[in-house]
Amino acid sequence: MTRVESPVRLEAALKVTGRAVYEAETPMTGMLHAALVEAPIANGRVLGVDGGPARGLPGFADLVSYAEAEVFKPSGSTALAREPRIHFAGQPVALAVAGTLHEAEACARAVRLDLAAEPAVTAMDQALETAFAPDIVGRYPATTLRGDPGAALAEASLVLRNRYETAVNNHHPMEPHSVVCAWDGDRVVVHTGTQAIFATQRLVAHAFQIPADQVRVVSRFMGGGFGCKGQLWWPWMMWAILASRRTGRPVRLELTRAQLFNLVGRRQETVQDLAIGFDAEGRLTGIDHAVLGQTATHGDYADGTARVSRWLYACPNVATTHRIVRTNEPLPIPMRAPGVAPGLFALESALDEAAGRLGIDPVELRVRNYASKDPETDRPWSSNSLLDCYAAAERFGWSGRPAAGKARDGRWRIGWGMATSVYPVHHQPCRVRVRVEPDAGLLVQCGTQDFGQGAYTAIGQLAAEGLGLPMDNVRVELGDTDLPEGPFTGGSMVTASFTPAVETAMARLRAMVAERVAADGASPLADAAPDDLVFEGGLVRSRSRNAAEGLAEILARLAPDGLETEGASAAPENMAFSANAYGAIFVEVGVDPDLGEIRVRRVCGAFAAGRILNPLLARSQYVGGLIGGIGMALHEQVATDRASGRIVGDTFADYLIPVHADMPEFDVLMLDEDDPHLPGGVKGVGMLGTAGVQAAIANAVFHAVGKRVRRLPIRIEDVIG
Amino acid sequence: MADAGRPALSLTVNGEARRIDAPPTATLLDVLRDTLRLTGVKKGCDMGACGACTVLADGRRIKACLALAASYEGRAITTIEGIGTPEALHPLQAAFVRHDAVQCGYCTPGQILSGLALIGEGVDSVEAIREGLSGNLCRCGAHPNIVAAVAEVAGL
Amino acid sequence: MSGVAFDYLRAGDVAEALTAGAKPGAAYIAGGTDLMPLWKARAAAPALVVDISRLPLDGIGVERDGRLRLGGLARLSDTAAHAAVTRGWPLVAEAINASASGQVRNMGTIGGVLLQRTRCAYFRNDALPCNKRAPGSGCGARAGENRGHAIFGASEACCATHPSDLAVALAALDAEVEVMGPDETRRISVAELHRLPGDAPHIDTELAPGELIAAVEVPPCGGARSTYLKVRDRASFEFAVVSLAAVLRVEGGRIARARLVAGGVAARPWRLEAAEAALVGAAPSDKAFDEAAALAVDGAEPLAHNGFKVDLLRRVVKRALETVGGAA
Repeated sequence: MTRVESPVRLEAALKVTGRAVYEAETPMTGMLHAALVEAPIANGRVLGVDGGPARGLPGFADLVSYAEAEVFKPSGSTALAREPRIHFAGQPVALAVAGTLHEAEACARAVRLDLAAEPAVTAMDQALETAFAPDIVGRYPATTLRGDPGAALAEASLVLRNRYETAVNNHHPMEPHSVVCAWDGDRVVVHTGTQAIFATQRLVAHAFQIPADQVRVVSRFMGGGFGCKGQLWWPWMMWAILASRRTGRPVRLELTRAQLFNLVGRRQETVQDLAIGFDAEGRLTGIDHAVLGQTATHGDYADGTARVSRWLYACPNVATTHRIVRTNEPLPIPMRAPGVAPGLFALESALDEAAGRLGIDPVELRVRNYASKDPETDRPWSSNSLLDCYAAAERFGWSGRPAAGKARDGRWRIGWGMATSVYPVHHQPCRVRVRVEPDAGLLVQCGTQDFGQGAYTAIGQLAAEGLGLPMDNVRVELGDTDLPEGPFTGGSMVTASFTPAVETAMARLRAMVAERVAADGASPLADAAPDDLVFEGGLVRSRSRNAAEGLAEILARLAPDGLETEGASAAPENMAFSANAYGAIFVEVGVDPDLGEIRVRRVCGAFAAGRILNPLLARSQYVGGLIGGIGMALHEQVATDRASGRIVGDTFADYLIPVHADMPEFDVLMLDEDDPHLPGGVKGVGMLGTAGVQAAIANAVFHAVGKRVRRLPIRIEDVIG
Repeated sequence: MADAGRPALSLTVNGEARRIDAPPTATLLDVLRDTLRLTGVKKGCDMGACGACTVLADGRRIKACLALAASYEGRAITTIEGIGTPEALHPLQAAFVRHDAVQCGYCTPGQILSGLALIGEGVDSVEAIREGLSGNLCRCGAHPNIVAAVAEVAGL
Repeated sequence: MSGVAFDYLRAGDVAEALTAGAKPGAAYIAGGTDLMPLWKARAAAPALVVDISRLPLDGIGVERDGRLRLGGLARLSDTAAHAAVTRGWPLVAEAINASASGQVRNMGTIGGVLLQRTRCAYFRNDALPCNKRAPGSGCGARAGENRGHAIFGASEACCATHPSDLAVALAALDAEVEVMGPDETRRISVAELHRLPGDAPHIDTELAPGELIAAVEVPPCGGARSTYLKVRDRASFEFAVVSLAAVLRVEGGRIARARLVAGGVAARPWRLEAAEAALVGAAPSDKAFDEAAALAVDGAEPLAHNGFKVDLLRRVVKRALETVGGAA
């Protein structure tokens, strides 16, 4: 095994000292502040927006609404900003701008709305008869059929049919969405924490009908995103940009925490009917996975929740369907392991139940159903180390698993559970620019974003390794559309996308150095062949002879203006392989059946996700993902008032996410996995932790107290007694 | 009170005497983050439920979004900017870097100030650190690394 | 976020505070941990905020008669750490340390925590109906989302619960509050400080406008054992789903005194008198505790989503009695 270094986070010193400037904190002279006017009804039309009462208030500067937004060239992404239709309670209908935030909030409150309310559908169960199949789920078909699952289930020696439900979750990055924007003539700079600076740039350019190069979008530091810092934020951001143009002054809009509950997306609520059938040896013979999910009246959104049933296990007969119901509630958007997390909750809970019924160990049952190739496409896996992940059972102590309901620790009943984790590998195109100065200072530029996952560090590390320089020599610039275009941040695909681009760029830089040094008679490396040169420890060294020269000396002499080049990568086309990252998650819970308290005590996750660039940061990603999954399993649930369609409890005191005191011990095992078929050998680690752990917890709860809970989150009332 | 409408507020911030013009409704968070531009004081929820705005007042940790600024007249406030610099990190800041206790970084200043105060309050176990830091939310899931960093500096 | 503009006055002494506090629209602020979020959510809209945080009402000490006296402005963290408290009234420290977060306990005061208002999400969101916030607007929770709501003492108008942990503990210790008003200083038992909603849920307590809590006095525990048991959905930093303060004194193998007060189940700390009465005179035993636990939930009136609280309270009572009763 090659030893992989783990440099500390490149930007960490800025973050721990409060010097990292997040976009809302961008200083601007003469800044105005903005506040949204929210609709008090869940369905209807805006007949009029009367800004009269606001105009007389201190500091008032501007008011924009759908009428003012008519100047935008229409596009789906700005539709909500341009139409007088109200789709959900709390939907913004106008933006008030004033000298201070308090003044803007007072102005927003003073705006009078003339509304025509219509009856609202505030829950899926009020409109089940309207459910329909969406065109696609994620990027895949909504419905699939392989073999004859009906017949297979009829003939199976064991069939389990159950309903699984998952609640609405919200992403809740610690930093709320914000924009600070300013126009200079027909050019605009937009500081906004976004997972997609280039898509934001194209949207702004399109709406204002100006060339993209007149729009600069900056997102250097982002306080988390998890899927919600993207398109659903755009309509409200666009109002702020419009107000800035109208007033000729910089404008800042920051969402409130309460607004993060309904303006920027949510994890889709699901009701999943899952039937699985096995033969007597515990081999899956049929799966029927039917998913019902909520969407809004202004967009059709569907997670690919049942997708895992299509290819995680070898099963000849599989039917999957997705249907969605339009309600007057906010629109869902991808959130941490979208689709996979709720889908695995159902599938992996069902497998656990089956293991019990079949008398087969849960790990063994999964091993028996291992898919040696992609059962959906029949393609081979690019690599698949799932069986090795299961071997982590030993590390957890799985073979010493106590009998169900028998283990205790004081007031706690102890239960163990496990589940498989999986997340598909995707790529996006990426360009990077690299520049090395004569003093061997290295600058890497890429128009992607770091929302905490560690892109600054991983990019810097690849670049430093590429020239054999220490991390101290590297500066990384991200999050600016003035840089070469990089991937949007999401789907665990950023590292997989930039790695080949950075490595290509660094190979070019090495070639440029090699060419110059070979041609320089004064160098001890004169006439060296390019592939004879090794870059390490700040030196360029010959493999074949005892010759070396400092890289800085070479550059100072032969490249006094520095060297610069670019690297690019594209998403691989027509891959002959299917690619997933895998994991196996083992969990110990304690349940106090008298008090209904559930605590996760221990989590052991073994993950195989191709090449790991920085084990320190990768571990943080896995643990972070697992904690997100614990939240989904035990805590997180958005409640909606059926009468009004309003979110009930739109604060962090109501919407519970795990706190320090909830933390178990984590044991993360990262398996070596060489994947020769993927660019750079990289898969992606961000989502894996959040996929599977929910079922592992539910399975452990069952093991502890014998209660099979098929609805998330699992709460006091589900386990008491 | 200077005048009824906009009293001038005197605070000692990171050791420096400051006079601030602020409306009576201003919170300490408003004053520190917006007026004094100490943007290391983060606004995460503005409702006292996330801890991102944690600062020290006369050495004690408080949530700046719950503090009416006027109530803190004459008090000594310490923000993350007063703890250390990138060139000269406080030992706890250095521990956060080493333990990768930072992901997106937005909860980080609050975690560090809360941890610093907690060490001063006296903690004797990792369990006590977990309980004591529970008023500081983190969404990236850096909790174990944060606790490890605080435990190291607390000598546990 | 911001609410309606207000004027601010820092009271120089108690008399000035009481005069200002009696003005229409005045509200006291001490730690601010409850008033500020309420103001931001527009669930409170004071015209004048009277800052009492620097009044000399923050003493913590034991009186000559052995009673613990906590100043109304004593900070929660100081109280919980005070040697007299941890030695003589551990239940007080236990309840405080189970509350909120370290930061909030550094800000919040004894008087303020007793007067904190309900966590009902309908109350704290002015886009939703709530008779407590806007009398006559209706109760959104009764037919809406009510998992966290009352199972005792609710009315058609309101089913909110009182959220303070400390109030529950103090009620179980037979504590009294010393209330100062413009005209007189009077005493109210903590157990009777909070009102049931009836048809006036907008009035939380027996305090008249302008009155403030000067102190809380707690009688000596007299050899009783106590525990504060708080059940919540996550391990910390959350209000109680159900909590219980139990105080039990056993003399000569018999229970001589019992106080059981539940939190999270009513608009005030809910004294379980029938259960207490059944315990007194009995020998601590599994059977006696089971009987008391069954009596504890007598008369509970659950709503659509909080039925589990009935079973939970019964189990909480049993568990707490096992803790303080020393039974097998």
